[in-house]
Amino acid sequence: MHRSTKIQLSLCVVLLAATAACRGNGANTTADTAGVRVTEVTLGRSVGGDKAITDRTDTFKPNDTIYVSVATDGAAPSATLRAKWSFEDGQLVNESTRTIAPVNKERTEFHIAKPDGWPAGKYKLEVFLNDQSAETKSFDVRGS
Amino acid sequence: MGIFDGFGKKEEKPKADFSNVQSGSSTTAAAPAAEAPVPDLGPAAGTSGSEQTYTVVAGDSLSKIAKHFYGDANKWPRIHEANRDQIKNPDLIHPGQKLRIPTA
Repeated sequence: MHRSTKIQLSLCVVLLAATAACRGNGANTTADTAGVRVTEVTLGRSVGGDKAITDRTDTFKPNDTIYVSVATDGAAPSATLRAKWSFEDGQLVNESTRTIAPVNKERTEFHIAKPDGWPAGKYKLEVFLNDQSAETKSFDVRGS
Repeated sequence: MGIFDGFGKKEEKPKADFSNVQSGSSTTAAAPAAEAPVPDLGPAAGTSGSEQTYTVVAGDSLSKIAKHFYGDANKWPRIHEANRDQIKNPDLIHPGQKLRIPTA
């Protein structure tokens, strides 16, 4: 009985070590292929030359141009950012993609405008990095 | 057609039309090397001793062109400066534009 407990413990240790090793390999692979992460997503009415939002808000007027600034950190030879904007009824408003070669900290802005004005209501923005959802933001458009 | 026909029917909101939504994007990051423009270095490229010309293709940006010619996307302002007459907004260049590329 005592011996069998020892064997079981040894097996557990070996299994734990093997699991840890596998985790290590997986993490390294992910870092090698992705290498970039989204650190901040901000909405607003305008952006500066550094592509950061200068007039931050989540409530817009019908005639506003709506900007989102996506901050990324990390380097990769190629990374794809996608901004998917949708209306409260699930309708797709717009979808834009930008492929970048980030080096360290970068910012990418996406903007949408509607010449005849945005319908009032609730909107959703989902930002994807390499086709994986990175962040979701909600915002409103209210009549002027 | 009774007077109660409309009762119980939910009034449907007309569906919003987003067909005319305009969009754009810009970034501080360089464009991937795989998408770097292939410079037209033939006779039509107008290569001279001090600068050459490059015809913008779809998907180009100044940083992408700078990366290609100078190996450094951050040198895009040199191309912008050399083409102030035709580039008002450095984030907006159009396919077919012929840009002067100063020597590195």
